[in-house]
Amino acid sequence: MNKLLFFILLLTTLSNAQEPILPIPKQSEIDHPKAKLGQELFMDTRFSSDNSTSCLSCHNVYEGGADSRDVSLGVGAQSGDIHSPTVLNARYNFRQFWNARAKDLVEQIDGPIHNPVEHNMDAKRVEKVLNESTSYQEKFQEIYGVQKILYSHFVDAIVAFENALYTPNAKFDKYLRGEVQLSEKEKEGYTLFKQNGCITCHNGINIGGNSLQKMGTFKEYKTPKIFPDRSFITKKESHKNVFKVPTLRNIALTAPYFHDASAKTLQEAVETMSHFNLGIRLSKEEVTSIVLFLNTLTGDTPSILESH
Amino acid sequence: MNPLRLIFIIVLIALISAFLLVKFYITQRNFTAHHKEFTLALNTFESQELQLKHALLENALSAYQNMDPIAQHVNALLETHHQLLASKILEDENYKELKNKLKELKKTLDIRLAGVEDQLMLNAGIRNSLIFLSTQVYNLNLHSEENIQLYAQAHKILKRFNDTALTQDLDYLTKEDHTLHTTSKQKNIQDFVDHFNLHAKYLIKNFPQFIITTKYVLNNNLSDSISTIKELFRTKALSDFRALDLFALLIFTIFTSSVIVIIFLTTKYFRENKKLRETTHSLEYSLSHDQLTGFLNRNSFSKELTRLARPHLLLLNIDEFKNVNDIYGNNVGNRLIKSLTKFIEHSLKEIEYINIYRTGGDEFGILFENIEPQKALDVAHKLQKQISEHTFVFNHLDIEISVSIASNNIRPIIENADLALKLVKKDLTRRVIAFNEDLNLKKSVKENLKTIDMIKHAIQEDRVIPYFQPIINLAESKIEKYEALVRVQLKNGTIISPFVFLDIIKKTSYYQDITAIMLEKTVDMAKQYPQYRFSVNISMIDILNEEIRNMLLEKLTQNFATASRIDIEILESEHVHDIAKVKEFINELHKTGAHVLLDDFGTGYSNFSYFSDLDIDLVKIDGSIVKEIVQDERKSHMLQSIFDFSQGLKLDNVAEFVETQEIAQMLQKMGVKYAQGYYFGKPAAKPLDNENVHF
Repeated sequence: MNKLLFFILLLTTLSNAQEPILPIPKQSEIDHPKAKLGQELFMDTRFSSDNSTSCLSCHNVYEGGADSRDVSLGVGAQSGDIHSPTVLNARYNFRQFWNARAKDLVEQIDGPIHNPVEHNMDAKRVEKVLNESTSYQEKFQEIYGVQKILYSHFVDAIVAFENALYTPNAKFDKYLRGEVQLSEKEKEGYTLFKQNGCITCHNGINIGGNSLQKMGTFKEYKTPKIFPDRSFITKKESHKNVFKVPTLRNIALTAPYFHDASAKTLQEAVETMSHFNLGIRLSKEEVTSIVLFLNTLTGDTPSILESH
Repeated sequence: MNPLRLIFIIVLIALISAFLLVKFYITQRNFTAHHKEFTLALNTFESQELQLKHALLENALSAYQNMDPIAQHVNALLETHHQLLASKILEDENYKELKNKLKELKKTLDIRLAGVEDQLMLNAGIRNSLIFLSTQVYNLNLHSEENIQLYAQAHKILKRFNDTALTQDLDYLTKEDHTLHTTSKQKNIQDFVDHFNLHAKYLIKNFPQFIITTKYVLNNNLSDSISTIKELFRTKALSDFRALDLFALLIFTIFTSSVIVIIFLTTKYFRENKKLRETTHSLEYSLSHDQLTGFLNRNSFSKELTRLARPHLLLLNIDEFKNVNDIYGNNVGNRLIKSLTKFIEHSLKEIEYINIYRTGGDEFGILFENIEPQKALDVAHKLQKQISEHTFVFNHLDIEISVSIASNNIRPIIENADLALKLVKKDLTRRVIAFNEDLNLKKSVKENLKTIDMIKHAIQEDRVIPYFQPIINLAESKIEKYEALVRVQLKNGTIISPFVFLDIIKKTSYYQDITAIMLEKTVDMAKQYPQYRFSVNISMIDILNEEIRNMLLEKLTQNFATASRIDIEILESEHVHDIAKVKEFINELHKTGAHVLLDDFGTGYSNFSYFSDLDIDLVKIDGSIVKEIVQDERKSHMLQSIFDFSQGLKLDNVAEFVETQEIAQMLQKMGVKYAQGYYFGKPAAKPLDNENVHF
């Protein structure tokens, strides 16, 4: 067994010439009718206790899928406790939420729906809203073949929509596929991204979103406010300030940055990150190059949003 | 066994077998499927764990790489574990222990995955610093001697760090100092050293935890747990498979024994059925065949007769067969019947389309269909001749028999043949007869019925009357007695003699009535004529009839005074076997005072032995002797002998049929005491008042 393991190891090491970042597939299998229904639900404020808040309220899918506000406002204009992460390409995250407490999108939906400062709803009330709407009844009847719409149908439709929220054809993806060349500065930025260790956390298809990491690995990151970090889940002291590594896809569109929304620009975010997590101070030129690289990560608007 | 119960049992067995088979099939199929599913999931889990380790190791060894596969392996492991725990096979109580082990495995897995998270975090930090240090060292400006020295020092330290990361061995980080030292006042050098030392210290600080965590996530406790679970599952499953084998064996046994039972029962059923069929056949045979001869019996004969459109019957009867039985015994009689059967069969074997029946004890029917009457008659003649010429031998005794055959094809077949047969029996000149309407046999039957009907009405209407014929005491020339003779008066007054009806009536119950009427009316007459005795006829057979006997005795006892003037004339018409009964009756008669007279002696069944056995008072000499004594000397000798014999026994005689004076005088001369006949007086409705007679 050990010999086999060694052999496999050898093989993968040799073939490790490929980049640690993967492009998003141009096309993914999407259940279009369900996704369209999910889109409608996603944008419907009736699924909040005061008809004020929809999913879209905090995840503007037309502009990066996140919230430009530091923290989102839910029902009764109450503030959330953390900056909204983007919903775009969320399907590629290994877990959901900043502290990775939901294993997938299905589990994730319960969070904001039930959160008293977000939608402040429960399954029963969601079902009531759905079943009182003739339009929804017709649509669910058509798609799910049910007379009575259940919460699980509601979740399924929204997940179908969220799965459709992928952004292919970023310039960098095209570069990875060998379709385009990066500018010199962009390429330099990518090299710096790798050479300075950003890549150790931001890798894979979502350039992040596949592991947890401590904010302030190198130097302690102090905030005046306590955020629901990983230690809220694991109750481990060492997991203070540990969050899911966020995706860098469409990063140029999702300012402000970090869980605390402390970085308002990409420059600022790169500088903070390199200082606290890499223990380095990058030159202005280096930061610029990296930001140029990060700008190549903006992909197409999800096709679901363009079709009607 | 009751066939319904048999069917019930067979159906029950079939249902149970089918149910068990289906149950076994489903159980076996489900269990195998669940077993396979679980084993597959278990193997998947094992291989996913291995893949995760591999990915982690790879990640720990390379500077940086795509970590998506690690996340995927982690999720896959959780998913597979979920599958394992939801396995159908764990629903069985037997696998509770296994389920608990799987739950324990989940804890181990969660701890491991938490370790993986930590390892990945630590790894990232270590990799960052290592990359950073490499970049720093690479970017170091080597313009001065001092810088070169610093470079060599940094390089050496970096090598140590890399080796430690590569080997995961803390021994590379010995106690020696792994930080840079410089006295340079140059800002950039100082910055370099500061940065370098910052990361070096980070590495020195984090390496131990990193190596421990890495070793932890690569350890074998998870795969050991899986092995334990696998082993446990194998043991459990093995016992389950054994149970299945046992169950299969059980079903096979039940099935086999069921088949045996069914075969046994079916065989038994068929055997009994066969027995039943044999019994039915033998019953049917005995119903339609004669047991002694094997010929078809009367039953079949009647059936066949109704079936045939144009039947022709030869009815064959053995002459005097009663004698054969009497002389040789029934055994020989039966053997004779059998031999005759074979003889007839043999004799007629050339003739097609005939059936031979035994229609009675000594009677055979030979049935033809659609045959020329003459041809049938020829067959009858030939058969009769053959039989009469044949000698049957039993026990070295030769027996020769003759048969009578009636041939008939005129309906009613049996009755006509019977009548013809009766007729030919009486005719000693021929033994074969063909029935034809001219035989007029049926007419006599009609006449018989008419006679019986006439008597019946005569009795009902009191037209049965006695006529009285005087009996003369020859010595005293006086009428001393009257014999009562039965007559029937028709409605028109005509008097009918008993010759017309008596033979027929004797065979009916009316005869008894006539005897009773005769006695009663004679007794009444005796009361009116006290100067005379009166005699009444009864036959020997009447005495054997208890009813007649009692009636006579009762009537005489009731009229005790008159009874002493009554003579009972007993006519011996047939041989009487029970002489004791007759004797006893005569004694009873005597007690009433009546006398007993033996009628018609000297003809028919007359028997001298009666004199010794019976207490008789008078003997009447038969008219056939009396009426010829004048012309026939032999007859007069006979009369003389009877007279002398009677005298010897001190019995008086009555001579009947005295029709002439010569006869009367001759009798008187011989000394015969009484005489009766037309010479003295014909029977009349009343006795004569004058008792004196002249001749």
